[in-house]
Amino acid sequence: MRRNGERMKKVTIFALITSLFVSTFSIANEVSVFNARHYKADAELYSKFTNLTGIKVNLINGKSGALEKRIISEGADSSADLYITADAGRCGAMDAKGTLQGGLTSPAIKSAVPKTFRTSKWVGIAKRARIIYYSPERVTGAELSGMTYEGLADPKWKGRLVIRKSSNIYNKSLVASLIKNNGKAATAAWAEGVVANMARTPTGNDRAQIMAVAAGEADIAVANTYYLALMLSGKKGAEQQEAAKKVKAFFPNQNDRGTHMNVSCAALVKGAPNKANAIKLVEFLLTPDSQEHFTNNTFEFPMIDGVSPSPLVVNNLGLDFKQDMKTKLASYGKNQAAAVEVMTAAGWK
Amino acid sequence: MKFNSWFVSSFLISFIVLIPVITVFASFFETTSNYYEILKNTFLVEYIFNSLTLLLSVLLLTFIIGTGAAYLVSFYRFPGSEFFKWALILSFAVPPYIYAYSLTAFFENYGTAFTILKNLFGEANYNKNIPKFDGMFGAILSISFSLYAYVYILTRASFLYQSQNLIDLGKNLGFSRFKSFFKVILPAARPAIVAGLSLVAMETLAEFGAVDFFSINTLTTGIYNSWIYFDDLAFANRISFFLLLFIFSLFILENLSRRRAKYHFNSKGGLKQKVKIKLFGINAFLAFIFCFFIFFVSFLFPLSQMLYWTIKFPENLFDLEITNLVLNTLYLVLLSSLVLIIFSLISNYGNRVSNNKTLNFLSTLSISGYAIPGVILAIAFITFIAWFDDSIIKSFGFSSIKKIFIGSVFGLVLVYFIRFYSLAFNGIKSGYEKMNISVDESAYLLGYSKRKTFTNIHIPFLRNSLLFIIILISLEIIRELPITLILRPFNFETFATTAYISASEDLLEAAAVPSLFLILIASLFIIVTSKYILRENNE
Repeated sequence: MRRNGERMKKVTIFALITSLFVSTFSIANEVSVFNARHYKADAELYSKFTNLTGIKVNLINGKSGALEKRIISEGADSSADLYITADAGRCGAMDAKGTLQGGLTSPAIKSAVPKTFRTSKWVGIAKRARIIYYSPERVTGAELSGMTYEGLADPKWKGRLVIRKSSNIYNKSLVASLIKNNGKAATAAWAEGVVANMARTPTGNDRAQIMAVAAGEADIAVANTYYLALMLSGKKGAEQQEAAKKVKAFFPNQNDRGTHMNVSCAALVKGAPNKANAIKLVEFLLTPDSQEHFTNNTFEFPMIDGVSPSPLVVNNLGLDFKQDMKTKLASYGKNQAAAVEVMTAAGWK
Repeated sequence: MKFNSWFVSSFLISFIVLIPVITVFASFFETTSNYYEILKNTFLVEYIFNSLTLLLSVLLLTFIIGTGAAYLVSFYRFPGSEFFKWALILSFAVPPYIYAYSLTAFFENYGTAFTILKNLFGEANYNKNIPKFDGMFGAILSISFSLYAYVYILTRASFLYQSQNLIDLGKNLGFSRFKSFFKVILPAARPAIVAGLSLVAMETLAEFGAVDFFSINTLTTGIYNSWIYFDDLAFANRISFFLLLFIFSLFILENLSRRRAKYHFNSKGGLKQKVKIKLFGINAFLAFIFCFFIFFVSFLFPLSQMLYWTIKFPENLFDLEITNLVLNTLYLVLLSSLVLIIFSLISNYGNRVSNNKTLNFLSTLSISGYAIPGVILAIAFITFIAWFDDSIIKSFGFSSIKKIFIGSVFGLVLVYFIRFYSLAFNGIKSGYEKMNISVDESAYLLGYSKRKTFTNIHIPFLRNSLLFIIILISLEIIRELPITLILRPFNFETFATTAYISASEDLLEAAAVPSLFLILIASLFIIVTSKYILRENNE
């Protein structure tokens, strides 16, 4: 009897210890998302999805780099189904590393998202443009007329331009698109021109660039579209709302290929344990309801037709601009290494 | 040589802690692409230059602040001196990355400073007149005002040991106060100051959050970036090598100073209570201002900035699952402290009873975990598990063990263990050093088994050291960022990760709420244990 009791004790302890680990193996109706987009609005969408389908969404939030490394290390045994991040360059780079799989090809996805903004392994779920902001007090209409990204290297902007660091993914993708369109040599010369025009050593995020123009530190800035709307919304406080009114948005390259576009993207991870659920989640994110939720909360442009951007975006940034539909977003990942090389060589901090 | 169970267990512990170091060096032999070959040299020079600039500036600042404050509160009485004595430790509650958020929030264009000026003097463009504390300068301030407490605590403790004679000596020699400070008091406290500074140095070199926030390329962020973005292990390891060089020289320096420290601390006369000199008039005022300035800048400023934002953007308060975050933090703190204490005890005891040179050497090496940045530990850990799983576990036909280690609380606590093992190990070791081996021998003579000696004699004797270690570990884990960020399970957040993620998404005002709670919890912890932190070092 006593020996039996001892054995029972051991079995119980063993069971307790294993139960600590087993929870991760349990099979459930779920989808696991490695999420580098941390907008509150996204979390609300995920719980909507759970209510609708009964599929639990497991989240691990983090910076893209660390999440990517974890996906790569976990390899074929990855616990991740979807990787959601805020730049096509990142999804493209993950694809190049062989960590994604095809499958995002359902009719719902194909009909919702134009070809420029997807591959079979990742799709855009919301759009943004990287544009020029200017001070109407210090920049004339004539100066801006016909302005292009290429024109940022024009010596007339000497000491008047602010832009983020070269390590920033939005800049990497912008420069990658320039390499795709103009070639590496021309872009290298362009990068040197841009560095020569900078009003200060790059510092701060996109919003800080816009505020630098408002504060008079510079005349033009390069930043993404949704930041101005965010500031105008008052979510960043009354001061930034006032500051945002002092700058205007300008969409470059309207007379040629169109304004540089980028997306937040969802990528299907190789070895995803819940592939079908992952595809369902992507389809859900592309429904008009979800898209409207994005546009009203994050001030991005909708990925699908028939949904209008937030009124703040429509009224202050305008809608009828020509988007660059020619440069495939998949090229951002492919030319990323060259973009980094070009910017570093130009001394872009 | 005796291979008893104590020996085996302490050998195993040392080995586990050494895994990341082994992994980093083992990957030296991996081949990589040479695509970035041309750019590497530019990067490397920049990383080294930035790390050196950061290190030297932080050392200088923490030295001035730490020893200055310690000198004032140890030798003089002035308004608030009793308060500052413990209040100056509160800066520990503000990790460098939260300090960085506060600096940016206050000084950026249209930031808090702008609002204050506008409310005081009306509308105008004040932005150009507000200094900008970002980039390297911001990082130096953030790290210094958070870490000077190391220097302060250790220096103050050593000042308390200095016999009154030393101060009298200065007076007798006809030295002015300044002269006796530089010629007598400071040199006598040198080992403690060096020990404090080397802790600051290690933390500075390992610093990730603040440095990453200001996007400065140091050796640590360089390793992270080349590993993560360029997939270039060889380059990451080349940088690691330079970083380890830095760290090992600091390590040796610190060990040397500690050895010397014994001579000072063991003198019995040191425990005599000194009579503090009362300051009057302008001197009292200046001493007060110096201490208040440090207290204000290091603690009140970040606290009020975070509080202000929490009030200004209250919606963020309701979005946060505070109970959950508190429970997660407590869970990690309790589990890690328990594991660290138990295994450090075993390892120390194993060293004590087996008295084996190989083991001693291994333990000395294994405490290097504290000097290796958390980011690198976490990445090395993942790399090791992936390799182990792919090449060993699977070749025997077992199913993958990755999920047990990566993205689990178990794996998280294991890496915390590696990182903070030296804190626990050294703490217990110094406790053991005060306890003569003859105590054990007497116990054996009385018929005590080894286990009984351990539980009935050693544990009660080490109680104070154990408490102090738990305080240190808890504070470290409440603030810990990179390891938690990389290794935590699904749907599992702490205050640190919530703050960091909001901040990196340009949602600084949302980062304010978790930051505020982190500061409050850590402060509470420090206030409750402050008497203990200060007393422990007097012993």
